[in-house]
Amino acid sequence: MKHYRKLIIPYVIFLFLLTVLPMLLIVLYAITQEAGSVKTFEFTISNFIQFFDPVFVKVLIKSFGLGLLTTLICLLIGYPVAYAIAKCKESTQTILILLITIPTWINLLMRTYAWVSILSKNGLINAALLSMGFSRLDLLYTDGAVVLGMIYNFIPFMILPIHTSLTNMDQSLIEASYDLGANPIQTFFKITFKLSLSGVLTGITMVFLPAISEFVIPKMLGGGQYSLIGNFIENQFITVGNWHFGSAVSMILAIIVIIFMALIYHYEKITNNEIDDEKGEGVMRFVKVKKN
Amino acid sequence: MSKSRRINRIIPIALCLIFLYMPIIVMAFFSFNKAKSLTHYTGFSTKWYGAMFANSQLLNAIFVSVSVALIATLVSTVLGTITAVALSKSKRLIKFTVQQINNLPIMNPEIVTAIALMIFFSFISFNKGYMTMLLAHIAFCTPYVITNVYPKVKALDPNLAEAAMDLGATPGETLLRVLIPEIRPGIIAGALIAFTMSFDDFIISYFVSGNGVENISIVVYNMSKRMNPSIYALSTVILVCIMIVLLIGTFMPYILYKKYGKIPRFVTRLGYIGLALLVIIAGFTSFRANTAKQVLKVFNAGEYADMEVVASFEREYNCRVIYETFDSNESMYTKLMGGNDYDVIVPSDYMIARLIKEDLVVKLDWDLIPNAKSLDTSIMYQDFDPKNDYWCPYFCGNVGIVYDKRNVTKKDLKDGWNILKNPKFKGDIYMYDSERDSMMVALKALGYSMNTTKPKEIKAAYDWLVDQRNTMKPTYAGDDSIDAMKSGNKSLCVMYSGDACAVMDENDNLGFFMPDEGTNYWVDGFVVTKTCENQTLANEFINYMISDENAYLHTVEVGYLTPNLNAAAKARKNDFPGNIAYEIRVDKNDESFDYQDNETKALFSSYWTKVKAK
Repeated sequence: MKHYRKLIIPYVIFLFLLTVLPMLLIVLYAITQEAGSVKTFEFTISNFIQFFDPVFVKVLIKSFGLGLLTTLICLLIGYPVAYAIAKCKESTQTILILLITIPTWINLLMRTYAWVSILSKNGLINAALLSMGFSRLDLLYTDGAVVLGMIYNFIPFMILPIHTSLTNMDQSLIEASYDLGANPIQTFFKITFKLSLSGVLTGITMVFLPAISEFVIPKMLGGGQYSLIGNFIENQFITVGNWHFGSAVSMILAIIVIIFMALIYHYEKITNNEIDDEKGEGVMRFVKVKKN
Repeated sequence: MSKSRRINRIIPIALCLIFLYMPIIVMAFFSFNKAKSLTHYTGFSTKWYGAMFANSQLLNAIFVSVSVALIATLVSTVLGTITAVALSKSKRLIKFTVQQINNLPIMNPEIVTAIALMIFFSFISFNKGYMTMLLAHIAFCTPYVITNVYPKVKALDPNLAEAAMDLGATPGETLLRVLIPEIRPGIIAGALIAFTMSFDDFIISYFVSGNGVENISIVVYNMSKRMNPSIYALSTVILVCIMIVLLIGTFMPYILYKKYGKIPRFVTRLGYIGLALLVIIAGFTSFRANTAKQVLKVFNAGEYADMEVVASFEREYNCRVIYETFDSNESMYTKLMGGNDYDVIVPSDYMIARLIKEDLVVKLDWDLIPNAKSLDTSIMYQDFDPKNDYWCPYFCGNVGIVYDKRNVTKKDLKDGWNILKNPKFKGDIYMYDSERDSMMVALKALGYSMNTTKPKEIKAAYDWLVDQRNTMKPTYAGDDSIDAMKSGNKSLCVMYSGDACAVMDENDNLGFFMPDEGTNYWVDGFVVTKTCENQTLANEFINYMISDENAYLHTVEVGYLTPNLNAAAKARKNDFPGNIAYEIRVDKNDESFDYQDNETKALFSSYWTKVKAK
């Protein structure tokens, strides 16, 4: 069966040109600096040394901190929701999953922009607070606003994979657990949660990954003073114009993220093809409905 | 099941749905607002929908988003599917390598992928535009198609293809008639993911596109610096479209089943034909840019012109203006260096000096610009271009502080720039998010020249800013402070006089002052690039933009002072009576920016990065 082997060639070429080569260029830029003119380089590690200034390391740590916080809250909210949906009738489940998926099809910038006017000093929340006799709160341009924006945008990606793993679970295992004398809490932690772990891990990566490198949400909800690693990289490329330093920071970010992902995969040995099925699952249901 | 358990189920779901839909409903609601405000509802109106459909930049963006998404989906689905089939038959080593590399764009932070592609395109000197955006989208969509299709291919019986071929089918027929129908659900899921990924994409498109090609995300990003209900209108339209497609997709099959017992062939065929037509239309029209009449590429600051004037220029001169906007002189320069071609650019004085010095611009043809006779010559003939050969002024002004008269007293103002360190206003200040403007404030507060090159003075200014950041907790905002001040968010705001003028026009509680220590005065002007192919049209465009009539339209729209004396006089009388921000001050302490040498520039930017990265 060698008939289709050659069909791989176009994609191998494409992959080399548009994935491998660009990544190699980032590495090249990261380990060089401009020497005199734009097109001559000299090798250096100063870009990396420059990054380990405490000020910049703090930015990295803050990005990871907010990313982890976002992921944790998404998990704490997303799991009960996914669990509740999984307990509904199948036709209700389809509609609910569709409802969870729809917002992700509206532009992320627009969804975030909506929060600006809800949180601003004269926005809806503050108007409500004032009318109830409370004083105004500074909601916009805070850490809280950024985390809220990220939760809002990414929570569907937590709910969908957890829901999938919960529905794929063999229900007889739960009955067996009860038969063997476990109470509902024991059953939940020892059976249900463990069996949904692959969905949880997919959800965590789906939320954590975009959350740490996001630069639009921090910019819109955190204000201009807000610098997460994504803003930092954007700034180096767009405003400052130091591509070499920007590349070095990108490389550091990519390495940390890939190590993180490798650890998660090592832990659960999820097969590669399961990641990013989230929209796919929603869509698959949608397709299933069509077929029935 | 007991009632209480049902409630346990309903509550989390209901709360989650409220959380997800509340902002969307708020958006839809305020898209019908009469006022420009996104918080105060003053009455029903559909004018923002009208504004949206009249905004050619936005319409173009919708077109780019849809056509790129359709073509990228088609290409990546075909490419991904045949690759998935090929992968299943490949040798282990190849399979492993390709799969691992294929995961890179999925695992990599999006911004890293975006930057890698941007560097790649500029490295091979590929002009940024529609093609680069399309290629980038195919590059990040295909991996998702493969991860969806490959498991389905793997699950197939390996003998299936052999059986088909034994029965006389060619490999091509086997692929099309046997394999693909079997893995169709995976293909459809992959294609839908590819479409949504591409349609929603911002980060990658933002870095790899250029030359006037913008998708919805990029336009929203540029527009969102100022409140604009047209964005709400657009998002409502998209929401409604998605709802309609989903409703049809969900209920049509049921209806058809009821009527025919199965989905009739003609319906599926109609679907495929419709889809094919869409792709073809998208493909054709995407190249219309190349076949148009004369084209002029203009690169101006965001919200810096009355777009009606640009549109009427297109009509009168029978040409097409590709109008792109930037948010700072620095980002304009980066884009220019990154392989974007423009004909006419509108930078500030110091950037014009740099462009002249680096030989990127050509002399203007003043014979083609007779309207220059009304210009204020006192701001022209600056040191960087003593004969004023290269540039034509468009707007000018100062930098000052907008303050809320209710909270700020005359006595407070006596502190000059140091009012920004008055503890009374802790947490109540907007600083302008720009390296040069913030350093200018600090240098002037300390009594230095804002064009100093002495490292000691620059360090002192940095310390001033750090101290101010730590003690005053200011917010560093770009143009978003404009809307914020209109609705009175903070007491003090460092602002350009033109923006101050517009803000004070809408909020009577605000005042504007320029400290005696001196401030920046600036001029923005038109330059024509060396790469411009139609010099005549470029000069005619400049002439058109600065005519008495059009300069008046621009200045009223933007709120900045026009150097056209006749237009300025008319605006002062009709539109900004008594508005003290609609003037320019050039006192002995006031300076304009000089062109910075690389060392000073690097010092400024590394200090500023540190101020912001707290």
